[in-house]
Amino acid sequence: VGCPLGEEAVDWCLYQLNGAAQFEVSEADIISTVEFNHTGELLATGDKGGRVVIFQREPESKNEPYSQGEYNVYSTFQSHEPEFDYLKSLEIEEKINKIKWLPQQNAAHSLLSTNDKTIKLWKITERDKRPEGYNLKDEEGKLKDLSTVTSLQVPVLKPMDLMVEVTPRRIFANGHTYHVNSISVNSDCETYMSADDLRINLWHLAITDRSFNIVDIKPANMEDLTEVITASEFHPHHCNLFVYSSSKGSLRLCDMRASALCDKHSKLFEEPEDPSNRSFFSEIISSVSDVKFSHSGRYMLTRDYLTVKVWDLNMETKPIETYQVHDYLRSKLCSLYENDCIFDKFECAWNGSDSVIMTGAYNNFFRMFDRNTKRDVTLEASRESSKPRAILKPRRVCVGGKRRKDDISVDSLDFTKKILHTAWHPTENIIAIAATNNLYIFQDKVNSEMH
Amino acid sequence: MLGKGLKRKLSDYEENMADLSSAFDSSRNLPYPLKRQLVLNMCLTKLQTYKMLVEPNLHRSVLIANTVRQIQEEMRQESSQQPINVCNGIASHSLSYPGIDSPGISLHLPSGSNQPESNCCSSWSGEGPIENSLLMVSDDDMSSAISSILKDLDFMEDISPPSCLAPAGDEPKLPENACLKPEVRQDLKGAECVFGSFEISNSTSYLKDLAIDDIFEDIDTSMYDSDFCSAPLMASRTPPTATEETLKTFPSCNSSSTTNIQICRPDLSELDHIMEILVGS
Repeated sequence: VGCPLGEEAVDWCLYQLNGAAQFEVSEADIISTVEFNHTGELLATGDKGGRVVIFQREPESKNEPYSQGEYNVYSTFQSHEPEFDYLKSLEIEEKINKIKWLPQQNAAHSLLSTNDKTIKLWKITERDKRPEGYNLKDEEGKLKDLSTVTSLQVPVLKPMDLMVEVTPRRIFANGHTYHVNSISVNSDCETYMSADDLRINLWHLAITDRSFNIVDIKPANMEDLTEVITASEFHPHHCNLFVYSSSKGSLRLCDMRASALCDKHSKLFEEPEDPSNRSFFSEIISSVSDVKFSHSGRYMLTRDYLTVKVWDLNMETKPIETYQVHDYLRSKLCSLYENDCIFDKFECAWNGSDSVIMTGAYNNFFRMFDRNTKRDVTLEASRESSKPRAILKPRRVCVGGKRRKDDISVDSLDFTKKILHTAWHPTENIIAIAATNNLYIFQDKVNSEMH
Repeated sequence: MLGKGLKRKLSDYEENMADLSSAFDSSRNLPYPLKRQLVLNMCLTKLQTYKMLVEPNLHRSVLIANTVRQIQEEMRQESSQQPINVCNGIASHSLSYPGIDSPGISLHLPSGSNQPESNCCSSWSGEGPIENSLLMVSDDDMSSAISSILKDLDFMEDISPPSCLAPAGDEPKLPENACLKPEVRQDLKGAECVFGSFEISNSTSYLKDLAIDDIFEDIDTSMYDSDFCSAPLMASRTPPTATEETLKTFPSCNSSSTTNIQICRPDLSELDHIMEILVGS
């Protein structure tokens, strides 16, 4: 299915675009997370207003070639509401920070969604049949007059319009004092972890009143605090291993078999600083905003402000690959610090075969790096530059010197248009890009033509 | 300012800072101590802004505090190497952190020195906006800024309901912050031993810093006096004064104005919410 990844250049084209035009944006509609499920059939997005929208891919049909593989809205629900913490006089935002799908174990789908404080387990079920022919009630549910019942019948299941029901099955509350930045489902499918700035908790999916604290980096004296947890993830195959990243740019691989409290890491991945690049902002830009294991489980991908790095689990001293996302910003760090853009948290993603990595940037640009060919491309997610089915044109940022037509100069970049959240289909060349309130789904041209 | 940037309130101070950071980025001739001072100013401004927020972002606060510490350490090393230092430690003025809207930024030109940079000093006397924004800050003040903001965070977190933790097993919790390298700890001890009196005076609640009467002056309380008043508790967020633009909300007003709350008939859903918290369901 799809063209062999990494062997041919992939041409991306816009498949569909969801979301209102820019001038209608309300803050609540800003997409805050995007996640495919394990088969890629479902795509979930969360927004600042606490809503989750699930898209489902239409099954292919030979009758309608153009609607194949289209992601249509499957369900929309309000996952989190704003809360007021009366003890601290704080409002808890309803923004969905992360969504993670559980592997499907029966006909229902399940996902975890979290805001800053509370994680919820949602069950999504379909109902497309309903029983008809009850003995005691009529079609509207009213009790029948028993004198009219002369024979017994067995209710029969008849098809009805598809109804998607979403119910909250578990609410994991009061586990976190600080803001939850990541959740990760374990490969054992029984437990998951949630990480905030200073602590990581391990939960059992069926138990909501108890969690185990497995990492705690809060110092006895808060004044000694110099490092926070920024992201965490379970290993895709080894249920005892997980990694967490820090604001100092380090990764810690922990083994839950070693001890109950994993403050001592099994492996510490850290790259010594390049003295030639040293600046006042070195530490800030080294803060890791996202960490993802490769599908193989052999590598980790990290994103810091200016680069994405691939780490081999067997080598702690430095990453095996480093890719520059937007190095032209290195000379603009002070301005980016001043307007807080330097704190933007970009996510990163692997493709299904771990051969290409992707991450977002500014000006609605996103970047892809092919690990085998070492080629990289910059693409743009915007209405103007994406006509449906037309191939996306690579973009270029020029840093002075020769300027080609259609190049954008660094000073013209729009820093309010940031692509923080991206997701890659688990097996195919389909990507979901969140640009403010818009969800772009791009497909590989070859892929879409083959269907 | 870069490109289209973020929409921002136009205040003199902010425009000034934007110009300065552009100057920092584009100018190669800016002397290092000046750059450093500029970054330090920005850091302290941000920390001060965060201090006024109800819930500062811990991640950012830590990153900024680390940057301040780093600069502080560098300046300290320089001052220990050379007895007379232009840009460091001369706290002849009482400290004034530039607030978001405060018009007066203290002006202080570095007066003559034995520094090699002294040539640069005289040469940039003509560069108006940059030199006018130099802020003389002492080590004590920097340290207190960091400590007070981190202390604030600790204070806030300590009054949270206890998290439901199962016993963490056999392993005793490590007393040391495992992430902090030993040599850095020793350096910081020097920085933080000045916290002493500052910890007490820099109160852990911004409420004490502000005159309580000032907060309530401009708020229209007529709605609180009526029977139907559940909504206004949350709705009265319009910031009457400029400084309050930086405050996310006025929860302190709500909690302090207990008499007002008693007058109001709380919404049923709010009661439910409170009950949920108490019962822990």
